Amino acid sequence: MLSIQHISKEFGPVKALNDVTFDVPDGQILGLIGQNGAGKSTTFHSILNFIDYGGSIQWQGHTLAAEDFDHIGYLPEERSLMTKLTIEQQIIYLARLKGQPAKVIRPQIDDWLQRFDVKGTRKSKINDLSKGNQQKVQLICTLIHQPDLLILDEPFSGLDPVNADLLKQAIVAAKERGAAIIFSSHDMEHVTAVCDRLVMLRKGNVVLRGTLEDVREQFGKTELFVTTDWTTEQLATLTGVASVTHRHGNRYVLHLTDAAAGPAIFDALTQGHYIEEFSQQPPTLDEIFRLKVGEEHV
Amino acid sequence: MSKTWVVTFETYLRQIKSWSFLFMILGPFVMIALTVGISYVSANSSRSSQQVAIISDSKVLRQSYLQQHQDGINTKITTTAAAKKALKANHLAGYLTISTSGKHLRGDYHGNKAMANGLKAQVQNFLTQYQTIQNYQAAKLSPQQKQALTQTPVLKQHVATKDGATNLAKIISFWILITMIYIILITYSTITAQEIASDKGTKIMEIIFSSTTATSYFVGKILGILLVIVTQIAIYLLGGWAGYGLAMHNAGIKRLVSANQSLVDSVIHNIVNLNLLYVLLGVVIYTLLAAYSGALVSKAEDASKAAQPVVMLGMLGFFAAFPFQNNLDALAVKILSYVPFFSSYFMPMRVINGTVSLAEQLGSLLVLLVTIGLFALYIGRQYQRLMLQTDSENMWQHLIHSFKD
Repeated sequence: MLSIQHISKEFGPVKALNDVTFDVPDGQILGLIGQNGAGKSTTFHSILNFIDYGGSIQWQGHTLAAEDFDHIGYLPEERSLMTKLTIEQQIIYLARLKGQPAKVIRPQIDDWLQRFDVKGTRKSKINDLSKGNQQKVQLICTLIHQPDLLILDEPFSGLDPVNADLLKQAIVAAKERGAAIIFSSHDMEHVTAVCDRLVMLRKGNVVLRGTLEDVREQFGKTELFVTTDWTTEQLATLTGVASVTHRHGNRYVLHLTDAAAGPAIFDALTQGHYIEEFSQQPPTLDEIFRLKVGEEHV
Repeated sequence: MSKTWVVTFETYLRQIKSWSFLFMILGPFVMIALTVGISYVSANSSRSSQQVAIISDSKVLRQSYLQQHQDGINTKITTTAAAKKALKANHLAGYLTISTSGKHLRGDYHGNKAMANGLKAQVQNFLTQYQTIQNYQAAKLSPQQKQALTQTPVLKQHVATKDGATNLAKIISFWILITMIYIILITYSTITAQEIASDKGTKIMEIIFSSTTATSYFVGKILGILLVIVTQIAIYLLGGWAGYGLAMHNAGIKRLVSANQSLVDSVIHNIVNLNLLYVLLGVVIYTLLAAYSGALVSKAEDASKAAQPVVMLGMLGFFAAFPFQNNLDALAVKILSYVPFFSSYFMPMRVINGTVSLAEQLGSLLVLLVTIGLFALYIGRQYQRLMLQTDSENMWQHLIHSFKD
C-alpha cells in the first residue's frame, strides 16, 4: 500500500501541497483529479523523491528507497523517449534500469507491441513512429516490468477512444495482478470508468476524497432527469430548481438546490398523469468537478 | 549488472556508434595520410628536376666521381646532347662536364641556376682531390714526401651533446604533453557538456530517476565518456605503433630514428611516468566540470553553450603554461602545480624539468584526487535537481542557486 501522510510542499511563496493525506491500497486504482496547477504532478514528484517535501510517504510500511524504484512504473505527463534508439533498445534499456535482465524482457516485446497495436516492429526507430505509437511504446516501458506501484500522469492524454480502451484494459489487468495504481486525469469519464476511489486537489488542498459512490452521495440526489412537454422557462419557475439544462427534444436536467424538492416537482410535473422519465440522481463526477472548481471563484 | 554499468554501456555504445566519433578517430590518420601522400607525390615530381648529370670523355673520371657521390645524380644521362635536352625539358637542374687538358683538371657546370652550395663543395672537393693525385704522380715524389704533404691541421669541436639532447627532449616532451592534454580536454569537454545538456529538462530524465539514483546515473554517464576517451587513446596508440612499424621499413626514417635514439628514449621516459596519471586525472576533473556545466544550462537547446566555460578554463591553463616553459622555477608555476584544473598542465612541466621531488608530485596528485572525489560527490547530489529543473534561469543563475542550496 502507498500511504501519503500530511505532505506539504512550497515553491517560494506558493503553497503547492498543503497537508495532503491519502492511501492507495494494493489492487486498487486511485484517481487524482484537479485543475492544472492543483498539485497533482507535485504529488507524483514527491512520491518519486524528485523534490523535498514535508510529511511522510511510505510504501509497504517503509520510506521509499532506491530498491523500491524497481517496482515502480512511472509515466510522466509529457512523453519523452530516446528517439535514436529502436523500440527494442528503448524498452530493454529502461527495463534494465528497473533491474530486469534483457533476456527476460526481450521475448515479451512482440506480445506487448501486439497488445497495444503498435504500428512498427521491434527494430523500428522511435523517431520513425507516429506520436501515438511513441506514446504506446512509452506505456509499454512503464508496464513491461510488472510494477507493483503504477504512477500515471495524464495517461489518456492524446489517445483516441480505441487506444484509451487498450490502456484501460492494461490498467485493470495491473490492478487484478495486485498493483496499487494512482493516476491523474482531466477526463472524468476515464476516472469513472476505472477508478475505485478518487482524491480531488484544489490549490494543493484535498477538497474531495472517497469512493465514486461516496463522493457523489455527498452532494445528494440533486440532479433530476425528466422528459416533459414543459418548456425550459416553465421548469425554471418550479420551487427548488436552481437551473435547467436542455438535453434534447423534450428531455431536461433540473439542478436542484435541495434533494428534498423532488417529490413536489414530481407532483407538479405529473399532476396524476404518466410521464416517460423522472429520475433523481446524484451529480456526475464531471458536474462535481465543475462545482468544486466553481467554488474557488466564488 | 548494476544500473551504473547499464548507463555506462548505453552512453559508451551510443558515442562510439556515432558518425562524429568515427570522424574524430579517422581525422588525424586522414590528415597524416594526406600530408605524407602529398609530400611523396610532390617529392617524386620534383626529384628529377633537381638532379644533376655528370658528363665526361674519360670513363674512369666519371666512374670515380659516381663512386664517391650518388645522391642527386642522374646516372642515366651520359652525353652532353642528352643532358642539354633534359635540361631544356626541365628534367635536370644542370650538368657537370669534367675534362682534362694536359695535366689540368677542369669542371664546367651548366644549369639554369647557380650550383647549390653543397654540390659546389662536393665538386670542388672531388676536383681538388683528383688534381692532387695527378700532381703527385707528375712530381714523382717519394712515399715520405707524399706523406709529408698530406698532413692537415686538426679542428675538433667539443659540444656538450648530452645536455643539448636533454634540453631538446624536455621541450619536445613538454609540447607533446600539454598539447595532448589540451586536445583531449577541449574535445571531450564539449562532448560531455552536450551529452548531459541534451537530456536537460526532458521527461526521459523523470523516467530514469524513477528507476535509479541520480548519483548512479551521473557516475554511469561519466564512466561511459571516460571509456570513450580510453578507446580513442587505445586506437591512437595502436595506430601509432603500427605506423611506427611501417615507417621503420623506410630506410631514411630508420636512419633518422637511429641517429636520434637517445632523444626518442628521453621523450618517452619524460612522458611515460606520473605525467600520464596527470593527463588522465586532468581529463577526469575537466569531464566532471563539463558535466556540471551541461547540467546548469536552462534547456536542452542550450547544449552548445554548455561547454564554453570549461573550454575557456582549459585554454587558460594551456596558454598560461607558455610563458613559463623556460622559467619553471617561478613561484606561480610552483603554486599552480598544486591547483586542480591547472596542476595537469604545470606539474608535468616540473616533472619533465626534474625540479620536483616525488613527495611533491604525490602531494599534488592527492590534492587532485581529493578534489575530484568531492566534486563528483557534490555534483551527484545536485544532479537530479539540476536535470529536472525546467525554469528559465540561465546557467549562472543556476550556479548561484546550487551554491545556496
